[in-house]
Amino acid sequence: MRGADPVSNVIRFILLLFLQVFLFRQISLGYGGKELLFIFITPLFIALLPLRTPKPLVVIFAFLIGFGTDLFYETLGLHAAAATFAGYIRQFVLTILAPKDGYKVKANPDGNDLPQSWWLRYLGLMLGGYCLFYFSMEAFSPVFWKDISLKTLLTTPVSWLVSVILVSFLRPRI
Amino acid sequence: MEQILRLFYNNGSFFTFCALQVLCFYLIINHNSAQSAIAAETWSIGTGKYKSVSTTVNNYFDLREQNEVQMRENARLRRLLPNALYDLRANVDSIIDGKYLQRYNFLPANIVNRSPYSPNNFLVINRGDNLGIQAGQGIIDDRGLVGIVDQSTELFARVISILHQDTRISAGLKDNTFGTLRWDGKDPRYMTLTDIPDYTEISQQDTVFTTGYSNVFPTGHAIGLVTDTEIQAGTGSMNLQVRLFNDPLRVSSVYVVQDLFKEELGILNAQ
Repeated sequence: MRGADPVSNVIRFILLLFLQVFLFRQISLGYGGKELLFIFITPLFIALLPLRTPKPLVVIFAFLIGFGTDLFYETLGLHAAAATFAGYIRQFVLTILAPKDGYKVKANPDGNDLPQSWWLRYLGLMLGGYCLFYFSMEAFSPVFWKDISLKTLLTTPVSWLVSVILVSFLRPRI
Repeated sequence: MEQILRLFYNNGSFFTFCALQVLCFYLIINHNSAQSAIAAETWSIGTGKYKSVSTTVNNYFDLREQNEVQMRENARLRRLLPNALYDLRANVDSIIDGKYLQRYNFLPANIVNRSPYSPNNFLVINRGDNLGIQAGQGIIDDRGLVGIVDQSTELFARVISILHQDTRISAGLKDNTFGTLRWDGKDPRYMTLTDIPDYTEISQQDTVFTTGYSNVFPTGHAIGLVTDTEIQAGTGSMNLQVRLFNDPLRVSSVYVVQDLFKEELGILNAQ
């Protein structure tokens, strides 16, 4: 997962969407009839967009993959809202995690140009933002803050782990 | 214009984000049953609050009309109350006695109108020509003086209050010193007794009485207490500040003093 060219991004879009809706949609763990743990990997697409992508375009692409996920999840708008949010906060996450001497112009988010630890933290923040916003939208009321935080705390680490593994496996090829 | 475009350009991601979030909210609310229920609930709470606020505000807008309606209703109800009726019965209190000849009649009356407080106050009482009210008759209450009748109509009479700058009332002290009581138009609690000879020995708290010399008020009706003396240099007289016993601004039931000897005395005074 290294390519910064449009084709690689389009392939990532299709591949991640496919994996999300056909494989990871089946996986959910819960307790007492309440599903608490999900795996979201579509934020990976947003995180892997090249650093020099214009910010409005990031938001629009994020919306597109979220909307695509929604079409299969039958939750029209929920993933789109969360993905749009993740696309918007990407610029702030990048600012927070910026290295001392700044980013290289052509840098890609995943590991090659930047240290592995940076990549892990960056992905964690992106996934955390995505999950928090998604579960907030799903509950749709601050009354359910317990559910929201519990689901976010369970889903984020698992999704993060899956994403990291996925990227390590596929890195040289796409 | 350029600045606006620059603003959009610099914050492009923010505006894109907002627009897409609005779209997402629209989709969420219209295509997800749980979220649309929550949204409808929230919306109804919000509009309920808005409606109650707008009702409150609208109530204030036609407050004037509401007041008008209320006042009309009040007036209609007040017309039904006993004190809205003109009492044709009059209790004229006189004693028939061989040794005494009745000099003063006292006719109970109520004050039905008064002018707004000013240096020249007027009152209207609910007694008139039909009960023998004439200009020049005095009005007293149980604690002091109230005024002098000025004009009378069939059913009502206008009274010049003692709190009027033109009022001149003959008043004096226990030792028959007498002067003229007037009001300077300032403090309604105090009047001034003028033209008292400056050699008179006055004590604080001396009572001031009517003299009866003017046929308006009966002799010896208490008016008030002396609270201060002030010698008028060069005139040989002094002024006494008199604290009134009554409050002419608040009195409501009074007596009209009718002097039955007025005509007879008038003949003498005119000569």
